[in-house]
This record gives sequence, structure tokens and C-alpha cells, in this order.
Amino acid sequence: MAPWTGIRDRAVRFARAWRLVLRIMMLMLRAQLEYRVDFLLQIGVGILWQTSIIVFASVLLTRFNGMAGWPADAVLLIVAVRMLGHGLYVLCFGRVFELTYLVQDGKIDGYLLRPMPVHRQVQLAEFPSNALGDILVGVSLFIAAVLRLHTAWTPEKALYLGAAVCGAMLVEAAILTAFSAAAFHYPGSYAWSSWSIELLETFGNYPLSILPGLMRAALTWVLPLAFVAYFPAATLTGRTAGLGVPEALAAGSPAVGLGLYIASRLIWNASLRRYSGVNG
Amino acid sequence: MSAYLLDSAAPAQRPARSAWRAGRISALGELLSPGRLVGTAVRLAIQIALVVFLWRALYAHTSSNAGLTRDQAVDYAVLAVLATRVRGLDRDASRDSIFAHVYMGTIVYWFLRPVPPRRYYLYRALGEQAYGLTWFALGYVACRIAGVLGPPASAANAMAFVAALLLGQAVYHELTLSLDLMCFWTLRNGSALTILQFVQNLLSGGYAPLWYFPGWFIAMSGVLPFQATLNVPLSLYTGRIALSAAPAQLAIQAGWVAGLCLVNRRLWRRAGDRVTSQGG
Repeated sequence: MAPWTGIRDRAVRFARAWRLVLRIMMLMLRAQLEYRVDFLLQIGVGILWQTSIIVFASVLLTRFNGMAGWPADAVLLIVAVRMLGHGLYVLCFGRVFELTYLVQDGKIDGYLLRPMPVHRQVQLAEFPSNALGDILVGVSLFIAAVLRLHTAWTPEKALYLGAAVCGAMLVEAAILTAFSAAAFHYPGSYAWSSWSIELLETFGNYPLSILPGLMRAALTWVLPLAFVAYFPAATLTGRTAGLGVPEALAAGSPAVGLGLYIASRLIWNASLRRYSGVNG
Repeated sequence: MSAYLLDSAAPAQRPARSAWRAGRISALGELLSPGRLVGTAVRLAIQIALVVFLWRALYAHTSSNAGLTRDQAVDYAVLAVLATRVRGLDRDASRDSIFAHVYMGTIVYWFLRPVPPRRYYLYRALGEQAYGLTWFALGYVACRIAGVLGPPASAANAMAFVAALLLGQAVYHELTLSLDLMCFWTLRNGSALTILQFVQNLLSGGYAPLWYFPGWFIAMSGVLPFQATLNVPLSLYTGRIALSAAPAQLAIQAGWVAGLCLVNRRLWRRAGDRVTSQGG
């Protein structure tokens, strides 16, 4: 009886915690709706952000007819997986990007005193309106890319594609969470977060085989950009030759994403434990 | 707040000294943080290396596309990366932006100081641009030595490029100022600023040279001020815009500067009337 009671208690606590999360999110949404134009513009930011990437990618694909031996439909799959993953990242984890400002404003000191994990409070600091635009464009492009891809779809492939999108979200979240961990001590680390996003949007959308070996290795092992969408798309389209990593590792990108995210949270928690406030 | 405070209140003591002291704030903030300087140099170097490899790979099977040869495309892309550094400072980091002050209610202090707000804003912007142009110049020399950037099409093209680059920065300054001033009416316009950044990057050729875009897109860019900020100077450098067309392009840039300047003058005056100190 006792184990069941324990499980039930935990389930009740879990449900209560998430009910509170939902209530806070709704509150933040109402707060944002007080500035209606800004709210609509934030959705517009998401749409424009994603659209600008599509425009860039489609201009290059139209002008240059594929990249490094990858046909346009396969490159479009990379773009689609990364962009949908990015939209989900903004929705679920995106507020770590703003951590510098929360530290500068001294808000973290307050978060430490409240009975809720600090990371969760950071995520609840603002309603991610721009994620709505990101996801809207991301889903549209994703559907178009899947319909255009010349491949025989099977349930396994469809499941893998779903896992790949989750993996893309987790890798991006891992990169940004790890960089944001430095913001507890060095507010200037914000520049590195911005730069990693810039790299993701510039080079996360193309087959990395266009780059020389050293650069490719750096974007695989130092900044794991290759695991976001390039490796999963290579696995799905059967272009696994010359990836620079074993096929199994490339295929396991979603699991790598999960592992990286867990590692980044451990770094984040360790950094938070050493946080000493804006006044030292 | 009286319009009189905007222009003529308590004539600023030693304007040159005020300009120097306000203009160097951003640069000092950066120079006093060696880690940030090294970080900027590393990020710039990696970004340049990546765009060079990207554009060389795209031109692997063709020598010319949209009127641009491989070398012209690489030069354009490298200069675009360098040019984005000119105003690459994080304007929110110091919390001394119009956006931050209007939001926090501290904008009133700008109107109470001996230096009028319009002039203070100009000094800060000029300081940031001078600092950014130093990075641009250092990056340019380094890229020329490294052989990833070719010389300008001719000496006359070089002179036209310098003039167009400076005018382009003036256009960019006026555009940013217009949106900053909108804060006095909308209170929160962070999203509008972000949208401007996307639109600016897309329509100026920051993401990809405008010459690769469809005709309608180039025509639309032609009637907007954004392409004057980047596309015109870079196209003059690479020789994609003929030297004979340079005077007309420079005149258009100057026209945008003058027009936007007039609009901003009016906006500053009206903004002053909207500022109220605590207690009304």
C-alpha cells in the first residue's frame, strides 16, 4: 500500500506544480496583452525570424541548385527540422537566453527565496509570444519539406523524424543553457549566446559537408551544431557517407540531444550554486 | 517636458568635452573588459572563416551567378560580416538606451542634464560607430593580409565605398533613432527593434547579397532605406554597382539621411512633450 501512496503523493505534487506553472503562464500572457501592439509584434518577430531564414535558404537553393551534393529537398529537410526544433526551444526553454538581464536586475536573488526551482522561475519570467510565430512558420515549412522529400515513408521513419525534431530542440536548449550558466557570474557571456544563435541560424541549416574538415569537426565536437538537424537529415535521406562520425552516432542524434541537455542542466545547477548575487 | 529643454536649456559647457566624454562610454566599457575583446575577435574570425567556406563551396560548380563572380561574392559576404560589427554593441547591456530608460521611468534625467538628450544620443551613437569602425578597419586589414578579401575594384571604387559606408551608417543611425523615439509613444517596442534588425539584415544584404534575390525583391529594396546601409557600399567595393552609378547612389543615401533626420527632429520635439517627471 505504502509504495502506491508514495506514487500518488508524487503525482499529486507534480500535478499541483504544473497547475501552478500554467496559472503563472496565463498571468504572464495577460500581462503581455496589456501591451497589445508589442504582443502582436512579438509574434511577428517569430514569423519574421523564421521567414528570413527560409528566404536566405531558398535563395541559395534556387540560385545554386543544391549544396555539396545534397539535392534541394534534402537541404529543405535540414532547414525544417532545425526551424521547428528552434520554435519548440523558444517555447519550452527560450528564457535562458535572457538570464543576463535577470541577473543584472537582481531578480535571481528573489527567485532563490521562493519555493520553486530557479530554472522553472526563469522559464516563467515571460510568456514566449514570439514562439507562437516561430512555431507557426516552423510547422508550415516542416509540412512542406516532408511532402517534398523524395523518400518512402515508413512508421519508423516518421517516428524518427519526430524524435529528430525533439533532439533539435534539446541540442539548441543544451547549447543556450550551457552558455547562460556563465551569465550568473559574467553578464558579458550574453554575447556568446547571441553568437551561438547566429551560428545556428546561419550554418545549422545546411549540410556541413560544405565546410573543411577542421570546421566540420569543431561544429560537431565543440559546438554540437551537426547534431541539431544535419545528422538526423543525413540518416533519414541515407546520406551517411563522409559525416565524420559513425553512422550509429549520427542516427542517435536525438539521444545525444537528451544527453547534452542533461549535461547542460548539471552545469547550470553547479553555476547557480556558486551564484553570489549582483552585489558580490 | 518643455521643448526648450531639448535644445537650448543651460547651454552645454564645452560641447567638445561633453561629446568626448559621452562618446567614449561604450568603447571604454568594452576596453575595460579584455575577455569581451578577445571574445569579439574570436567570434569575428570564426564567422568570417565560415562565410568564406560557405560561399566558396556554393561557387564550386559555377564561376558566376547573378552577376557576381566567386571572389566578388566572398568579398561581399566578408565585408557584410565586418560591417555588422560597426553597430554590433549590445545597446541594452548598459541599460542606457531610450528603450530601457522609458521603461524604467528614468528617461526624465536625460531631459534634466546640461547636455540636451538629442545631442547626448548622438554622441553615444557616434562613439559606438567610431568604436565599431575601428573593428571594421582592423578586420579589413587582417582579412586582406590573410588573403580572404580582395582589393576594391579600383581606387575610385574604394573612395566611393568609404563615402557610401559612412552615409550608410548615418542612414542606419537615423532608422534606429526613429524606432527608439517610438518608445515615447508605445512604451515597449523591443519587438519593433528586433523586427527592424531582421528587416535591416534581410533588405540590406546582410544575410545574402541582394543580387541573388528575385527582381521584385530587389525593386522593393530599392524604394526602402535599408539597402542604402549595406548593399550600396558593398556593391561599390566589389564593382557590382558601376562607378558611373555611384553619384546617384550616394545622392539617394544622402536623401535618406536628410529625410529621416527631419522626421527625427520632429519626433524629438514631440517626445519631449510626453515626458513627465514623478508627480506629473
